[in-house]
Amino acid sequence: MFVLLEDAGFKRVRSTIVPGFAFRKESTRDAAEAYGVKAVLFTAQKPAT
Amino acid sequence: MTDVARLHAEEQAPLEGVIKGEVLRMYQEVAEHPEGEFHFYHGRQAAELFGYEREWLDRAPPGAVASFAGVGNPHLRSQIRPGETVLDLGSGAGLDSIIAGWQAGPTGRVIGVDLNPTMCLKAQAHAATSGVRMVCHEGRMEDIPLPDGAVDVVISNGVINLSFRKRRVIQELFRVLKPGGRLSVTDIVSAKQLSQSIVNDPKLWAS
Repeated sequence: MFVLLEDAGFKRVRSTIVPGFAFRKESTRDAAEAYGVKAVLFTAQKPAT
Repeated sequence: MTDVARLHAEEQAPLEGVIKGEVLRMYQEVAEHPEGEFHFYHGRQAAELFGYEREWLDRAPPGAVASFAGVGNPHLRSQIRPGETVLDLGSGAGLDSIIAGWQAGPTGRVIGVDLNPTMCLKAQAHAATSGVRMVCHEGRMEDIPLPDGAVDVVISNGVINLSFRKRRVIQELFRVLKPGGRLSVTDIVSAKQLSQSIVNDPKLWAS
């Protein structure tokens, strides 16, 4: 997503992992951990000109 | 579009349709039966986990809070100012739209876009009872039904990961933002390439 934002032309792209995010069901949580699944907050700005 | 890209798109089209149906079914289920059990945390429990202010959750319509199905808190960095126009991509039952609308104030407004027309009506009703100027358009995030440069801020919460065409979605967000406009989006990402069995499983897309 970070790269997609930059490719689209966004500037000041920032990302922060969302603390506390987890899947509720254990089976889904285990699979998500195996694939490094995380929730992330992205911010970015469209250039003014 | 190149021949390879066209071939890929044609191969993905049937699966994309199935996944769209499953996503619609899942989020409709959350809205109609928020007391149910899902793969993800939802409702007030999830919102509190992500740092939503209790005052917001106490003040918002219970139906909007109970159906909340986000993955984080885009309001932490949205910095919405009074008078601004906000796009809530995938507005669902409307909780994030309502919070954004309170920040934008009476001179601002919120535009929701959601795949599900029933959810759009629900979000508009919740916003109206919360004193928020909101209009919701049924539409796809890959073709946002807004003109160029229509909004000051984009928020979204756990929605873009549901698209097969994420690059296209991001390009659309860039298009609808005014010059200098900002984006604050929470979403799910994976560090590793998902296996084909996961990619082809509509139930996991909707979880």
